[in-house]
Amino acid sequence: MPAYIAGRNVNLTFRPPNRAPVRALTGFDIDVEEGEFLSIVGPSGCGKSTFLNVLLGLLKPDSGELTLRGRRISGPGSDRAMVFQEFGLLPWRTVESNVELGLELKRVAPETRRAASRRFIEMVGLTGFEAHYPHELSGGMKQRVGLARALATDPEVLLMDEPFAALDAQTRDLMQVELLRIWQEARKTVLFVTHQIDEAIYLSDRVMVMTRRPGHAKRMFVIDLPRPRDYEMRVTPEFNALKLEIWNALKDEITV
Amino acid sequence: MSDTRVLDAEIAAAPGDVQLAPGQTLWRRTEPALLGVGSIAALLIAWEALPHLVAMSAGTQLFFTTPSRIAVTLWGLFASGAIWTPLGVSASGFALGLALAVLVGLPLGVLVGRSPTLNAMLDPFITAFNATPRLVFLPLIMLWFGLGLWSKVVIVFIGALFPILINTYEGVRNADRVLVNVVRSFGASEWDIARLVVVPNALPFIVAGLRLAIGRAVLGVVVAEFFGSEAGLGVMMVQAAGRYQVDTVFAGLIVFAALSLAMTALVWLLEDRLSGWRPQRPSNN
Amino acid sequence: MADDGQPRRSFVESHRTLVVGCGSVALFFAAWQALFLIVPFNPLFISKPSLIAEGLWALIAGGDLAHDLAVSAVPFAYGFAAAVAAGVPIGIIMGWRARVGYALDPLLTVFYASPLVALAPLVIVFFGVGVAGKAIIIFLLAVFPFIFNAHAGVRTVDPLLINVVRSLGGSEKDLYLKVIVPSVLPYIVAGARIAVGRALIGVLVGEFFAASEGIGYAIARFGDLFALDKMFACILVIMAIAVALTEGVRWAERAAFPWRIGQ
Repeated sequence: MPAYIAGRNVNLTFRPPNRAPVRALTGFDIDVEEGEFLSIVGPSGCGKSTFLNVLLGLLKPDSGELTLRGRRISGPGSDRAMVFQEFGLLPWRTVESNVELGLELKRVAPETRRAASRRFIEMVGLTGFEAHYPHELSGGMKQRVGLARALATDPEVLLMDEPFAALDAQTRDLMQVELLRIWQEARKTVLFVTHQIDEAIYLSDRVMVMTRRPGHAKRMFVIDLPRPRDYEMRVTPEFNALKLEIWNALKDEITV
Repeated sequence: MSDTRVLDAEIAAAPGDVQLAPGQTLWRRTEPALLGVGSIAALLIAWEALPHLVAMSAGTQLFFTTPSRIAVTLWGLFASGAIWTPLGVSASGFALGLALAVLVGLPLGVLVGRSPTLNAMLDPFITAFNATPRLVFLPLIMLWFGLGLWSKVVIVFIGALFPILINTYEGVRNADRVLVNVVRSFGASEWDIARLVVVPNALPFIVAGLRLAIGRAVLGVVVAEFFGSEAGLGVMMVQAAGRYQVDTVFAGLIVFAALSLAMTALVWLLEDRLSGWRPQRPSNN
Repeated sequence: MADDGQPRRSFVESHRTLVVGCGSVALFFAAWQALFLIVPFNPLFISKPSLIAEGLWALIAGGDLAHDLAVSAVPFAYGFAAAVAAGVPIGIIMGWRARVGYALDPLLTVFYASPLVALAPLVIVFFGVGVAGKAIIIFLLAVFPFIFNAHAGVRTVDPLLINVVRSLGGSEKDLYLKVIVPSVLPYIVAGARIAVGRALIGVLVGEFFAASEGIGYAIARFGDLFALDKMFACILVIMAIAVALTEGVRWAERAAFPWRIGQ
């Protein structure tokens, strides 16, 4: 029986005009369990964001198979939603209106939309900011809006592309705690792309390490730390042992 | 006060950007240029062919001309030398007015940029004069300066002054405070700071202002000559228009346009020379 | 007393720029008026604020000012409206279809660089001295800022936002309505700000050439009559209108598009 999300031999090459072609993914395989939190770490440019975009349906692979619940992925769909690194909020819309965007595009009735967006704004802890504009919010708050927007369409899979990379370290740590809290409540399958090994271990059930470009899966690590995870776990010997293992797998792929 | 600032965004070149792929991407590189040239050529051809394809009333025929006839007239003007005197008159008005605008605008822009009080005092006047079409002062200037060179110079001066003044002001104000403090910590005087940090930083703004000023200066010469002069290329054009010599009018327009483009190109060159230290701009324009 | 323990700043202190600006303008007019206590006054050459004010009042009371402005406004409105109606769609298509942009951009740059005002005599001679000729001149001058700005607006639409809407299942129409139009709108309004100035030039050129009414004609006529006071009055009126229009648009831009700080 195929895994909840199954990728087999996914290949993708970018062919930009006036430049040499770039092989982003070669022979990329992946299996994701339903409801799990899976992180992907890899060196810059290894294709992890590309893979997320393929899963989202915005990019088409040259060859290979990618299925969700056995159905081929051929374009964007309401079963998957993405949280973007640069937030991607429409600057001319309020927080509430931004969160509603997905529902609006699905032609959901206004009252239903409003109720849903209120609920998710509350879930991400932004009650009271419904009428604010993005330029009035901090980075962390903007990303919460992005998260609420992604959750509002009730997708099965949440794709997160280095969502906390644009935030300062303290906000980042807080957002990780928040994300776990929201995930426990919302119960989605999450694919999380990041550079930071700490972050990956802290958040995930499993961590995949990718090779450098052209990228494919190198090793999969199971994180058997107990849930709910608390911040103090980050300084335990078990955590550090995992960190060292993953680092060893990753460091050969990184060039300065 | 910054509507005249025309700065392109600067995009840092990514590693690997300069790599060129062989073969079929040659088309991709030249396609924009080909399309641009092609559309101009297509327009000229269509214009040239129009009288042969469409019947025109006698009245329209009086006004209609074709690129070939314009080219012949243009050539004739240069060959016979008839163009040089008017062109010289126009060019001298243009050059004098522009030079004055730079001489006044640059230092004033620096002063206003460095002094918030001066800025507050002069702002209403600068805003008012910048928003107003300079043409509105022409009758007054004709009254004061007559129909000779000086009314032309004054109109060009007023037109070109404000882009230079405003852009210099913006450039000076834009000076990186951190750099100023760094230089100051090494014991620099105000003059040193201006020389080492403020002016180099302001140069791109100033050059952008210069580009705008050139356009305004050309417009100034044209309108000044239309209404308030005895000699010059614009006068030649107005007289030709009255005599239904449409070819001459277009020929004059082309000369003005060529002048404008040539000066703008010079400014681009100057800008390139002075901006070596900036990250490469992608050449899309 | 303010809450933080500091004495409350006076109106003057917190609106320093405005106060200094107004003071400077008042000082200018006062100096102008006072100048003629020292320098002999030649009414054929210049005027002074007191006389200008009287002349302005006479024009307003007699209804001449309102009439002239109304006459000038008609071709301005037609030409400007046509410039928006033609310029914005062209610019958007140029931005959206790169090929169209490549083809038209050099052509339009050449047009923009040529002083099209130079064709004004031809236009007037061909179309006559009525509204049509003037409106065409105004259109020719005002259309380019709209084209270039709409083009730039479409080209700088944030591709991330396009991806966001696509990923949420948006159609082409959704992309247009929810991303492209709101992105481009500030650019178009900025284009309007620039176009206003150019359109005013068109009004004046048309009226200096061939008119029997209108505010530009009034200035020329008062000049011929050496009625310097009324001439200055009309000039000041046009300056006020120009400033009101451009600053008004600028204010509207800041109010309507608050996220575009510093642009």
